[in-house]
Amino acid sequence: MKKKVLGLVLAAVMAVGVVGCGNSASSEPNILKTAASFAYASLDVHKEYYGWYTSIYGVSEALFKMDENMNAAPCLAEDAKADGSVWTITLKDGVAFSNGTPLTADMVIRNLQRVAEVNERFAYVADFKMTAVDDKTIEIDTGDVYPTLRNELASPEFGMVDLDATTDFDNDPVCTGPFVISKFQPEGDVEVTKNTNYWGGDVKLDGAIFYYMQEDDPKLLAMQSGEIDCYNSVSSAALTVYESEPDKYNVVSIPGARLQYYILNENTLDASVREAINLTVDKEKIASYLSGTVSAAVGPFNTNAAYGKVTVPAVDTAKAKELLESDGYTLGSDGFYEKDGQKLTISIKYYAARSLDTLALLIQEQLKEIGIDSVLGVEEDPDATYIANSDFDLALYCMIADKSGDPLYFIESTLKDGAYYDCGGFNDDHCEELINQLKFETDTAKRAELANEIVQIAIDDNAFGYVGLFNNTTVLRKGVSGFAENIPFDFYGIDAETTIE
Amino acid sequence: MIKRVIKKLFCLVIVLVILSFLVFALLYIAPGDPAEKRLTSQGVAITKEVLDSERERLGLLKPFLVRYGEWLLCIVRGDFGISFKDDMPVAPKLVAGLRNTSILALTSLFVSLIISFPLAIISAIRKDGITDHIVRLFSFVGNSLPNFLISVLLMYLLCIKLNLFPVIASGNIQGLFMPVVSLAIPMTGRFVRQIRSEFLNEMKEDYVIGMKGRGVSCRYIILNLVHNCLGHVFTIVALQIGSLMSGSVVIETIFRWPGIGKLVMDSITARDYPVIMGFVIIMGTIYVVINQLSDILCHYLDPRTEI
Repeated sequence: MKKKVLGLVLAAVMAVGVVGCGNSASSEPNILKTAASFAYASLDVHKEYYGWYTSIYGVSEALFKMDENMNAAPCLAEDAKADGSVWTITLKDGVAFSNGTPLTADMVIRNLQRVAEVNERFAYVADFKMTAVDDKTIEIDTGDVYPTLRNELASPEFGMVDLDATTDFDNDPVCTGPFVISKFQPEGDVEVTKNTNYWGGDVKLDGAIFYYMQEDDPKLLAMQSGEIDCYNSVSSAALTVYESEPDKYNVVSIPGARLQYYILNENTLDASVREAINLTVDKEKIASYLSGTVSAAVGPFNTNAAYGKVTVPAVDTAKAKELLESDGYTLGSDGFYEKDGQKLTISIKYYAARSLDTLALLIQEQLKEIGIDSVLGVEEDPDATYIANSDFDLALYCMIADKSGDPLYFIESTLKDGAYYDCGGFNDDHCEELINQLKFETDTAKRAELANEIVQIAIDDNAFGYVGLFNNTTVLRKGVSGFAENIPFDFYGIDAETTIE
Repeated sequence: MIKRVIKKLFCLVIVLVILSFLVFALLYIAPGDPAEKRLTSQGVAITKEVLDSERERLGLLKPFLVRYGEWLLCIVRGDFGISFKDDMPVAPKLVAGLRNTSILALTSLFVSLIISFPLAIISAIRKDGITDHIVRLFSFVGNSLPNFLISVLLMYLLCIKLNLFPVIASGNIQGLFMPVVSLAIPMTGRFVRQIRSEFLNEMKEDYVIGMKGRGVSCRYIILNLVHNCLGHVFTIVALQIGSLMSGSVVIETIFRWPGIGKLVMDSITARDYPVIMGFVIIMGTIYVVINQLSDILCHYLDPRTEI
């Protein structure tokens, strides 16, 4: 009897052991660990740029999502159609928040109204007249024709939040994404777990940890020690290390939406000097010097986009010299051009971020080679100094040129007369006319045509020099995929398809 | 005594008012404003209308004296205000940063003193000997190495080569080890040289020569030397505490230590005036109080020193 009891106990223990082992093997959490260069104090999707990060964490989703081809593809919304100034947006079936509550048209409207209320950059949305036609359909009357609404609704700040269920917007918003926040340290690390109620189906990861790491070296060391599985914005020094070990790491680098460019001051520089500068600055050489972190730009937009089809003259230093000489400049004994006894010296203003300091030095060297002397001036805050005062001949700047797959934002910010960044005196009546047409043009192909024509005018006028587009460079350990490595926008990260093998 | 304390507190208030006014004025005349920094933090261009509207919301369009007066009134009421960068209350940010920096600063100070004190004494006693040369060489190297280099080298050696620590560690003893060592190495280098120099000066005093001549034991002479040097050492340590408490941005950034140095550097970049001003008030108070404590301590150790 005792033996039987002992046998049963042993069998039970072994069975529990086997089940336990089985569980531990199959329930090994599939957690992605990554590094984030920025961390904010809040997770309020609608405020500031926090929505970029809730989107990267896979927590929030907007009605549309930018895809690899820079199109606003359906996400929570099925479609958006415009009829004059009225847009009709239809939501997808079955979309629900992580608590199971369905997303309704009324909730979408309340979300849009909240964004307008709490985010100054989107205050204009408050002027739109929004109506819920039924549970799944929203009508938005924008007053004037507003062709870019669909693209703008892809901005992560328009991520949908369950406004009734969320009690703490800063720490625990209830959203529709494939992940939910499990641990949030303001301005620190963030942990997310799988949203078991995800409306879009199965989520491959069990969770993810975003370590807040600003410095490049610790990221590289953490990758080498196996403590993180992937990260983006890889520095050129780290890139060399990863590329030397292709069996361990997969590096994906695509031209992004962040543009390095310079503004030529038309009020202080002759047309011949501006043209000579543009014929001299060798973008390919600069991109090669910056070893993989930027791609040489043609215009302000990615050349793959329909609105990125512009042309620039090839580098031709001989022609640049000819231009200067035909304009009365003579080469002095010191190797620099002069006119009326005045040496040709230009003032280059820059700020020490986004490799603009390196760019300033390289441009200075290239100009020196053809006989243009330059003086570098560094400012800590470009917007409050040289952009505001226009006290430069050549000003370097870096900004996101394409924030939602449409050219209007950049064109209006830099080329429209009176725009904050039109600080070099560029003004062209025909260009102005075309910008006004672009503002109201609804046909996508025509918009691209107009945009190309507008940018080409600025290029031909030698008002700007578009130098490089920052590459979105992501490094992934072998077997890791789906970290938005092929999307040229900064505000995407993990999603339901992100996997670790 | 009470009168003296009241007088010191009154002086502290005056110092803080003058300091805050000067810093507020400097921030006011410095280019850049919080609204623009906040709206363009991700490199997205904004329109002038949006910028002006944000400036209005943050109260940046009010005259300088009105803004300073409002801020001062809030401080008197114990309210450090709301951050311009993220609309979060300033006080909890400063408290958290200060707590983390205090842990890091005091631990590294303690480690540095434990190591540098005996090394400096040995080095001074065996002046120009091999031990002295070795200690001086190490203190010279330690003092010369920049913080970021020590941090990255330590990380590479301990985390990658020896696999003793994780690169990502924070909020525990393990996370404290490498930042403490990185801060302690240059600090030890400085302390060794300063304490050694104090010892050597003291060793030239007549009473030491007299004790040696009378055949007093070496241990007794050293004890007297230590006692008489302590005043100067406290002054050196007090000065070091001041700079340590203002944080080490590089160490805090590399080791993900959320201290006050990094908080303030980020706030300066973002022109987050309420956080910067809160920091100035707290650090001003710490500096003044530590200097006063150091003076009092020196007076007790050497009654000839006047407070």
